[in-house]
Amino acid sequence: MSDTRAIDVRGISYSYGNLLAVDDISFSVEPGEILGFLGPNGAGKSTTIKMLTGQVDPKSGSITVLGYDAIKSRAEMQSRIGVCFEEKNLYLNMTAAENLRFFASLFNIADFDPEALLRRVDLVDKSGTHTKGLSKGMRQRLMMARSLVNRPDVLVLDEPTDGLDPVSSRAIRRIIREEADRGAAVILTTHDMEEADKLSDRVAFINEGKIATLDTPENLKLAYGKRSVKVRSRDGDQISEQTVALDGPEAGEELKEAVASPGLMTIHTEEATLENIFIQLTGRGLE
Amino acid sequence: MSLSRILRILAKDLRLGPRSPIFLYAIAFPVILTLLVVFVFGSLFAPSPRLGVLDAGNSSITSKIQQVGGITVTMFDSEDELIEQVENDNLDAGLILQKDFDSSLIARERPVLQFYVGGNSLLSNRTILAVTTIDLIREVGGSTGKVDVSIEKLGTEESIPLVDRLLPMLLIYAVIIAGLFVPASSIVAERESGTLSALMVSPVQIPDIMIAKGVMGFILAMLAGIVTLIINQAFGNAPLALVLILTLASAMAVTFGLIFGSLAKDANSLFTAVKGMGIFLFAPVIFFIWPGLPQWIGQLFPTYYFLFPLFEVGVKGATLADVGAELWIGFGITAVFAVIAAMTARRLRSALSST
Repeated sequence: MSDTRAIDVRGISYSYGNLLAVDDISFSVEPGEILGFLGPNGAGKSTTIKMLTGQVDPKSGSITVLGYDAIKSRAEMQSRIGVCFEEKNLYLNMTAAENLRFFASLFNIADFDPEALLRRVDLVDKSGTHTKGLSKGMRQRLMMARSLVNRPDVLVLDEPTDGLDPVSSRAIRRIIREEADRGAAVILTTHDMEEADKLSDRVAFINEGKIATLDTPENLKLAYGKRSVKVRSRDGDQISEQTVALDGPEAGEELKEAVASPGLMTIHTEEATLENIFIQLTGRGLE
Repeated sequence: MSLSRILRILAKDLRLGPRSPIFLYAIAFPVILTLLVVFVFGSLFAPSPRLGVLDAGNSSITSKIQQVGGITVTMFDSEDELIEQVENDNLDAGLILQKDFDSSLIARERPVLQFYVGGNSLLSNRTILAVTTIDLIREVGGSTGKVDVSIEKLGTEESIPLVDRLLPMLLIYAVIIAGLFVPASSIVAERESGTLSALMVSPVQIPDIMIAKGVMGFILAMLAGIVTLIINQAFGNAPLALVLILTLASAMAVTFGLIFGSLAKDANSLFTAVKGMGIFLFAPVIFFIWPGLPQWIGQLFPTYYFLFPLFEVGVKGATLADVGAELWIGFGITAVFAVIAAMTARRLRSALSST
């Protein structure tokens, strides 16, 4: 294993009874990197997250997080990671600050200042509010803050912006970027391709318990997209559309001609979206 | 396992507890049930201890006992009449002082003191009368004066008042609700709200959580048990012995609570399981209320092994030595259930991962 890897997963599998949920998957994440884990419901994302965070032991394979064996040194590993769940699992009868203070105490953090974290997630004015009085978006931001109480070196986020309003989603994306810039390795599960594209340094497509592909969004788009542009132009009442293959021998001339045309309306690249690529690779959509 | 984390979870649970209906129920229910029972069957508002005295001489004990507040003293001229009144439950006890009792006592001639105890009298009343009489004898005869005491119980063993026979029922409700329901429902509530998963990705381990919940249930069960004994005037007889027995009772209830809490998927399945297992927990109570039933059946149920010692010591004035065998069996049963609780708690982690 490279010493620089924050997470190193090798050949892990897990099954629920006869159902093989995760089937021999391997990947690694470097410090400061954001890895997007993409896949439809039931693809095996959450089970992988559970294994990574020590909630469940893999039936086979190994997981090393920050140099700790996730099975043998679970408590040590868990003291250095932060986890943000999809499900809102806060103590509803505690205030926002009490929730953070309680979890910080479990990490034995002295002089913990909940206000500083609440400020980061724009909830400082809700510090004394009972969690049951917070909106869904506010609760999600509070959960994000909770995952940061121990200044984790690995941050695991399960659908962190699912169903949130744009303001909360933006706040959470900003924090994810800040944490990666600080040097934390981030694993993010989502079925929002746009979010994965914006945030992730690399993305892994998971389907039926296997990783279908893992690469940077840019490389995937290049590998699976069409190398062509679509040119639309108007000639009187007629609108014409022309596809220019970028690998063709006349590509340069054709593009020059199109740009010079007085009736030029639009030029679009034929770059594939992550969703197109996912469908291409797995034969199914993300929903 | 970390003591500091256990204490932090415990502190959180105790702080949040009063906001939980089950927690409040555990505290209030035994008190309400006790008050209801004693109101209906009357021991809380029962008359003060009633003593009949036949003084064949002119003992100073008679005049002294008449001056003691809180005791109703009736004088008799006939021994038969005194015995009849005790037998008919019109008196809690009868005292017969022989002629020249005081002078014989001072002369250290060991006079005979006859004491009749009513089978239907409350243990607390008997205790008050016996202790008061002994104190007065010491006052008259000094610390070296000795008497031969002849105690005769009138009525049968089975004639323990119903209000006393209901004490095991009150105690088991107090201990089971606090010791079983509070930790079990706390585990289930954390599971349902997802906070258990949040705890389990922190450095907290399952044993930390289980111990914290168990200690909370234990503290509440002890408190509920002591309060129930005090309200029923059964705690003063042998407080240390009763605390020891309540320790066993609370520990046993907590192990049940941890097992139920680990196995139940949600609040509904917890209540269904406890309801289904109710006979297993509460059956021995029947044999205290109706002592004519074959008592060996009660011994088949684990809770018998703390109820019997509590009843014997709290109501009938037995000592720990008298109930030693039952206590040892009770501790053995608790140890077995503690092992089962540890096994089911380990299972909880994998059960959580499948949800």
